[in-house]
Amino acid sequence: MRRLALLATTLLSAAAACFAAAPLPYQAPRTSWGDPVIEGVYTNNTNVPFERPAKLGNKAVYTAAEYAKRRNARAVVETTTVVTDVHYETADFGLDPDQSAMVTNPRTSILTQPANGRMPPLRPDAKARSDAARARQQEHAFDSAQDRPLQERCLLWAHEGPPLRPVGYNTLVRIAQSPGFVVLMTEMVHDARVIPIAKSRPDFGGLPRWQGNSWGHWEGQTLVIETTGISGKVNPRGSAVPMGPDGKVIEKITPTGPKTVRYEFLVSDPTLWDVSWGGEFPMEITDDPLLEYACHEGNYGLPNTLRGVREEEKARGRTR
Amino acid sequence: MVLLAATGSTGAIAHHSFAAEFDIDKPVDFRGKVIKVELINPHSWIHLEVTAADGSKETWMIEGGSPNQLLRKGFTKNSLPIGTELQVVGYQARDGAKRAVGRTLKLANGQSLFFETTPIPEPSR
Repeated sequence: MRRLALLATTLLSAAAACFAAAPLPYQAPRTSWGDPVIEGVYTNNTNVPFERPAKLGNKAVYTAAEYAKRRNARAVVETTTVVTDVHYETADFGLDPDQSAMVTNPRTSILTQPANGRMPPLRPDAKARSDAARARQQEHAFDSAQDRPLQERCLLWAHEGPPLRPVGYNTLVRIAQSPGFVVLMTEMVHDARVIPIAKSRPDFGGLPRWQGNSWGHWEGQTLVIETTGISGKVNPRGSAVPMGPDGKVIEKITPTGPKTVRYEFLVSDPTLWDVSWGGEFPMEITDDPLLEYACHEGNYGLPNTLRGVREEEKARGRTR
Repeated sequence: MVLLAATGSTGAIAHHSFAAEFDIDKPVDFRGKVIKVELINPHSWIHLEVTAADGSKETWMIEGGSPNQLLRKGFTKNSLPIGTELQVVGYQARDGAKRAVGRTLKLANGQSLFFETTPIPEPSR
């Protein structure tokens, strides 16, 4: 009897220790129609680079001491084209990531898959196609407005996804919920993805879209979004050719606190990569308003750029 | 949430080809008076009346950054009054028009127009 009492006491103590050590996951409140609440205006501003510096190898997370040092580190601005010479000083306009509140994130990179936190290489055949496409694009890069990247034309920026990624400034994302739908709207450049919530993939009529065709469903508290049918006019990261018909992006949004969500993504396309790539970052509700980003109407830069190239061609005695 | 102070500029984001629009071999450094302010996206534009060396008046358009962050920090359309004198250091448009990218914009007293930043070195050619 004494042994039984001792065993019971030991087991109870162990159970108590387990419960004390493992806090229960956050339980989000529910909308009036029963979905977990994830809506709000979020920022995903960060100084975490998209790809992990090679010297860090497979180190996915900084220690508390290392992170404390990094909190004031210069943010690495991800961009498809880094201009280090002729450009206004972004900091003069408060546009450096360091000049806005950043979401706490001790990770060494946004990418977590592959394990080295770096983009996987394109398949050799895909690389050949991509290199050829890039060469053609560069040959005709300034022929007309339609040859300029979609973001220069105020149509779509790469960070709007899918998948989403931090962009460096104007990083706000609004998540709105209504019965049967979730909307992800990025401030820059004012694109909104309307995502139907369904038990299975709806019929999108075979029409590809720049941001693909997305549908979502809930797995517990996690909104899982699947996107296929991304238009051939939009190339994924690291490729000058678009995804094929089997290209897919999976996103997961999970509330982790009253004001935070974890955003995860996974990109796969067997015609481009032998392995999938993906990552995660936190987003936090902000008191800042999501402001209008009307863009096309004031996009003087586009015609100015083409004018500049035409002048240069004249000076070199070249014509198109 | 971690709030950080301004630490200076990073590599700039280019959502259009500034190198095709402006000429690094045409640096500009002049003062002018604000005659119009366009707080618009994707880039703000400040129009200045500049007195040329011969005394004639010229109108220059100076390209800057997205105003959204300025607005979030309390800068409104009334925050840069017409008539304010600005010092512009930048690069002129390739097509020779009186347009320039305002690499830095300072008030007459030498203070940055919007945010104080760490001085940055001139780009190497």
